[in-house]
Amino acid sequence: MIDIRFEDVSKRYRIRRPEVRGGARVTGDFWAVRDVTFDVPRGETLGIIGPNGAGKSTVLKLLSRITAPTRGTITLHGRVAALIEVGSGFHPELTGLENVFLSGSILGMKRREIAAKLDRIIEFSGVGSFVDVPVKWYSSGMYVRLGFSIAAHLEADILLVDEVLAVGDAAFQLQCYERIGELRRSGTTMLFISHDLASVDRLCDRVLLMNAGTLAAVGSPRDVIRAYESLSDDNSAGRLADAAHITGTGAARILDVTFRDECGREVPGTTTGGPLCTRVDVDVLTPIVDAVVEVFYYSRDGRTLHCQQTTALGGEMLSLWAGRRSLEFTCPEMGLQPGVYAIGACVRDASSAAAIDWWYGTRLLMIEPGKNVRGYFYAPHTWRWADVAERQRHSADV
Amino acid sequence: MQVVIRPASRGWVRLDQHLRTLTAFADLLYTLSLHRISVRYKQTVAGVLWAVLQPLLMMVIFTVVFSRLARIPSEGVPYALFAYTALLPWTLFSTAITNGTNSLVSHTQLITKVYFPREILPLTYLVAAMFDFAMGLVVFAALIGWYGIAITAHLLAVLPLLLLLCAWALTVMLVLAVLQVRFRDVGVALPVLVQLWMFASPVIYPLSVVPARWRWWYDLNPMAGIIGAFRDALLQRPLSDAAALDVAIAVTAIALPVAYAFFKRAEATMADVI
Repeated sequence: MIDIRFEDVSKRYRIRRPEVRGGARVTGDFWAVRDVTFDVPRGETLGIIGPNGAGKSTVLKLLSRITAPTRGTITLHGRVAALIEVGSGFHPELTGLENVFLSGSILGMKRREIAAKLDRIIEFSGVGSFVDVPVKWYSSGMYVRLGFSIAAHLEADILLVDEVLAVGDAAFQLQCYERIGELRRSGTTMLFISHDLASVDRLCDRVLLMNAGTLAAVGSPRDVIRAYESLSDDNSAGRLADAAHITGTGAARILDVTFRDECGREVPGTTTGGPLCTRVDVDVLTPIVDAVVEVFYYSRDGRTLHCQQTTALGGEMLSLWAGRRSLEFTCPEMGLQPGVYAIGACVRDASSAAAIDWWYGTRLLMIEPGKNVRGYFYAPHTWRWADVAERQRHSADV
Repeated sequence: MQVVIRPASRGWVRLDQHLRTLTAFADLLYTLSLHRISVRYKQTVAGVLWAVLQPLLMMVIFTVVFSRLARIPSEGVPYALFAYTALLPWTLFSTAITNGTNSLVSHTQLITKVYFPREILPLTYLVAAMFDFAMGLVVFAALIGWYGIAITAHLLAVLPLLLLLCAWALTVMLVLAVLQVRFRDVGVALPVLVQLWMFASPVIYPLSVVPARWRWWYDLNPMAGIIGAFRDALLQRPLSDAAALDVAIAVTAIALPVAYAFFKRAEATMADVI
């Protein structure tokens, strides 16, 4: 049984430029999706990954009927629901309870259905007695939780999930993953679009890679994620187009940040739990007596996940003499989840903390699936039988 | 349940299918309309009073300006009643098209994120306007009580007229809402249009004063026949101008399906341009 069938689907957007006279003029076409064909059998969780602007969200918009295709046919079997950006459709003046009905109806639920699930929705959201308060008084966390709770109780044969899991605190995200796992086990067909390769790897049965509006690869999550990473390499040699370089005092200039394996060969990244050497090339123009060099690891949405600093290693003063220097940070077990990370580097004056040079976002670090991660990161650990060890120590003492 | 999504060009005239989808979303129409009404009155102090105050105040102003100062004839009826009987349907129409025109652009968030038949948005404003109309009708009952006029079964003629009025208002809303998505000028021009439209309809003056040689063109505006007939029905007198009403029915019957098809055609790519 095929639940979703895409047949030679294309979507064209017309790019208009306002003219001084005569309103809008068509100046060009942009094919967001071009001749895409794929099937999703019942019960499968299909992931779609790809760089920004690859057409992932357009595929989702076509599926959820927000916009019509320019060519081709899409056939859907069963009731479709989209887990969209939560809380859209909330009205600030209405109470939480009223918004449950409003938002639920917008997502396609019948009033009777909502009434039957009301208790569970409210319990899941954890807003408690706040259900009778207008949502304009809600904290953003409560808002998001209530929004997701409604969506999570949709009864659909096909569920479309687009980046919704990027919101909320850790406990709530875990709850979301559990709910998605539950729906998966109950046989819901799912389409999952995400930049978060770790989630894609964990949740999907099969993954599509989209690039420039076309299908670039289809297959198992690991294979396709690997294909995506090499695609990122080809596309830009690991570099983002919007590279930035902010110069501070100008006493030094960071030339590049690269990654190496144990043998010193340049690599695009490592695996979760694998070793990683990060090399920073600096051109020092005037000597700096007390310097700190830092490397930052950012998520795709710009959060700082990790930082490596020279002072953290030995705590000694780092004096940079004029000339081209290279520093290397070594991490025996990199704990980042599989995914693509942005990198930044900085040289600063340790005493004043003033930045001498800032370099960021021009290189991506690829982390491939390695050690299993549940939670936010992998940390090296071992285990033993504590009771046995204690007994041994005890008998040694006696 | 199988859904086939095809390019918009093939969806020109599939009104039966569109209507079936719309009925599947009847719950959303109900919930949204309900909230439309409750939200409107939640933040205001006078609440539901506003619904009745608007036509009442207009009635007072019109009576002073057009009857006392301009001496416009009112067919032997007290001018206040004469004006109010036309203001009831006119207020429904003007409120509905004003809100309805903006209904799509004010819900950009929803339109770009979720699918539902988009005509639900203008429809909810029509329902809200009907709610105000019902409130206005209560005031009307009090008003004719004040003038010592008995309420008879003749008033029931209002119901089919209300249906016609809503159908025509919906026609206008569907077209203007789509145009507003692409050309925001529509929203800017709308208040002027509504003003002009009122003077082109027999709201402040009776149908009978319109020169006969203009009548053919004048009656092409369905609001002419509708408001004339509303006035007759509310004043519980026989229909004075059946021809104008016939034209209104004919124009609406032709225009509504065309407007709906136009709306659905635009709906397919609405999210791209909104």
